[in-house]
Amino acid sequence: MDHQAAADSFSSYLEGDLPEEVKLALEQHLGTCIQCRTELAAFRQALGGLGTLRQPAPERFLPQIQRQIFLRSKGRFFGRRWMLFGRIPFEWVSLVMIIAMLVYYIAALRGAPTAVHPAP
Amino acid sequence: MSVAERLLIARLKARDEDAFNEIVRLHGDKVFSLVYRMIGNRAEAEDLAQEVFVTVFKTVDSFRGESKFSTWLLRIAANHCKNRMKYLSRRPTDGAAFDEAAEEHAAGGAAAGRAPPVQGHIEAPDVLLEAAEMERMMQAAIETLEEDHRLLIVLRDVEELSYEEIGEVTGLAEGTIKSRLHRARMGIKEYLAKHTR
Repeated sequence: MDHQAAADSFSSYLEGDLPEEVKLALEQHLGTCIQCRTELAAFRQALGGLGTLRQPAPERFLPQIQRQIFLRSKGRFFGRRWMLFGRIPFEWVSLVMIIAMLVYYIAALRGAPTAVHPAP
Repeated sequence: MSVAERLLIARLKARDEDAFNEIVRLHGDKVFSLVYRMIGNRAEAEDLAQEVFVTVFKTVDSFRGESKFSTWLLRIAANHCKNRMKYLSRRPTDGAAFDEAAEEHAAGGAAAGRAPPVQGHIEAPDVLLEAAEMERMMQAAIETLEEDHRLLIVLRDVEELSYEEIGEVTGLAEGTIKSRLHRARMGIKEYLAKHTR
């Protein structure tokens, strides 16, 4: 195996993707070629450095996106939600009130005095 | 795609805000990281990464489930990056922008409002500066690559996507990805060899 073929194999070698006979040929070459060993070490170091480059999103990333959508949708999405005690959504409060009013109405109907009966 | 993910996407298509928030939480870091490494400028990257998610919110109905949602999302991010890079290449570049980001990294990023590094101990200043210098060098190396090679390096070696996922993002065959990726890696290696003596 020559130097160029060895260098061309570095990626596959480090990813464990080389066919066995090619891997053996490369390792045999590396055993006798200090230049290629040095190149491989530099290649491995470069890959290692790339692996440290992940960046987390900034802290206010989500609120900023929500704000963009709010502005572009003219307030249709991600507007302020009214919450009872800061926790209970407006829709639930409305639903509970409607059910309570229905129950009261039905109870009131049942408890209302019936029509006056004529005397026997 | 898992059942949970299908349900989440269905809710997102119905413009459920909580579902959208969850999508940003799940994929925000990866998208921001990709954009930042492609663009190389923190302020531009924040702006563009937000734009990616606004696009997702607007166009999620076009996601048909033929690929993973994450790769569909990254494809949108990659396209935004390509368009922004074309626009930026016509503008004079601000070389100080990345140096500022590297210095902020060395200082722990507190002033920039970034999340602190995930470490269990406080690094000595010289260690932080060395890490910042390495980051600056790696980013400079990435920026010498042409756009397509840069994307492959970021997807594979920074974000650790599989070749299948990279194929879904780029539309390239695995063999093409591997050969271009190898050339990009050699480019990085040669840049570092030239600049770290």
